[in-house]
Amino acid sequence: MNWSGWLTEPFAYDFMVRAAVATIAVCIAAPACGVWALSRRLVYLTDAMSHGMLAGVAGAAIIGGSLLVGGLIAALAMALFISLLVVRARVPEDGAIGVVGQGLFALGVIGVSLQSEPRALAHVLFGNPLTVSRFDVIVDVTLVVIVIGTLAAMKPALLATTFDAVHARTVGMRVGLIDSALLVVLSMTVVAGLVTVGVLMAVTLIVAPAVTARMLGRSLNAMFAIAVASGLMAGVAGLLLSYHAGLPTGPTVALLAVAQVGVAALWAHPARAVQRSLISDRASAAAH
Amino acid sequence: MNRHATPVLETRRLSVTYGRRCALQPTDLAVWPGEAVAIVGRNGSGKSSLLRALCGIEPAARGEVVLHAESCHHTARTVEVAYVPQRSEARWDLPFSVGQVVAAGRTRNRWWRRGSRGDRDAVDTALAAVDLDDLGDRAVSELSGGQAQRVLLARALVQQPDVLLMDEPLAGLDLETVDTVLALIQRLTVGDLAVCCVLHEVDIARGSFSRVVALSGGAVVADGPAASVLDADGIESIFLRRVAA
Repeated sequence: MNWSGWLTEPFAYDFMVRAAVATIAVCIAAPACGVWALSRRLVYLTDAMSHGMLAGVAGAAIIGGSLLVGGLIAALAMALFISLLVVRARVPEDGAIGVVGQGLFALGVIGVSLQSEPRALAHVLFGNPLTVSRFDVIVDVTLVVIVIGTLAAMKPALLATTFDAVHARTVGMRVGLIDSALLVVLSMTVVAGLVTVGVLMAVTLIVAPAVTARMLGRSLNAMFAIAVASGLMAGVAGLLLSYHAGLPTGPTVALLAVAQVGVAALWAHPARAVQRSLISDRASAAAH
Repeated sequence: MNRHATPVLETRRLSVTYGRRCALQPTDLAVWPGEAVAIVGRNGSGKSSLLRALCGIEPAARGEVVLHAESCHHTARTVEVAYVPQRSEARWDLPFSVGQVVAAGRTRNRWWRRGSRGDRDAVDTALAAVDLDDLGDRAVSELSGGQAQRVLLARALVQQPDVLLMDEPLAGLDLETVDTVLALIQRLTVGDLAVCCVLHEVDIARGSFSRVVALSGGAVVADGPAASVLDADGIESIFLRRVAA
């Protein structure tokens, strides 16, 4: 099979076209969210939230409700429990995040195991493009449009509160409300990734492209551009590779996103080291 | 006698507590337009609590902050009072541009609003006021300490405030940069802008500020012209003797 066949043949199938559209949508929204999650040091919370949301997703699946609404309710409940532990019981924040996230995750695993389909847990955690329906595509694209629109509208506020939350409060910004809005947007992104790459791998798509962008980008806009490009490369290449090699899609996409972090690190740091050594060689040659 | 009829900012029996600990005892203070006030005292004397209560970050346990004698604010959370925090409180590691950070002073509570032409002009004016007009596009992660301090000052000026509250603006700066920041502060107070600075540098407070407010044990123990508050006896009583809280 030639290269063009390798690239186009999978999309002869409707399920692959649906999976591609849903994956591309998530690969745009997740890295964009990730830039803010990384900048605001919310990576651990995002990871814990993806685990905790399983309880809501499982509950919704059991009662036949919307997985999105279930996931969002679990995310909001998680934020509430964490606040209670931190404010009322004075538990350290990272401890509260770990306890609540893992507790809800355990509840979710039990909930998923109660369903008739035993493979459902793996689908929720790691995704399965074979299961992407037309309705899923519509939901995913809608979620992504909402996520990107909200992030664009909130950009000045997110920038102000990320750089200096205390000052932002003095000019009348409601920092808690902005934090909450970002958490809702993050949870919507994780839910959007549920059917294609799974809730756990969706977090990788949030974090890894943002880390790549942080190493290579020298401005906020450059970070967004690099993160989204990195996410799209991982998504499309991961989908094709998983199809041809018979690998699970979610982990393949996630691994490619992580591999880009390694490439970016090699690109950014040795390049600087070589540059420094060249400058020092020139300086010593000039001295002689 | 001050040429203005009313102070721009006042505290009336303002106190701040953290749990059971009283960080600032009931305090009456008036700041007049164009004044350069240095707030001095040992660590834990209540300087930062006073400053933070003045700009509304710390809620007043009792009393109030009064702006322009008319509008009463328990929390003076208004753009007319601009706060310049310590540099260490901000995220200088991120690739935000200087212009974006300064524009944050105009964001206010209308977060969905795009910056208008007026906002962009205000940012340019504020950057020019602190001599950073060429650095609007530079990432804040690439700034020196002195440039970073001036960015925070520009972010406050873009609010077009009546009062500037600065928390240790000279900490960690070299002598040349200290002179630059002091010259900026003096230039700003030529008009009606009042500046209140929490300082640890006694010599600078005495030499560059018209008025000094000294705190000890959460109470104002001296308030007046810098030369008289910070004479030898004054320095001893402020920094060496303990005052019963």
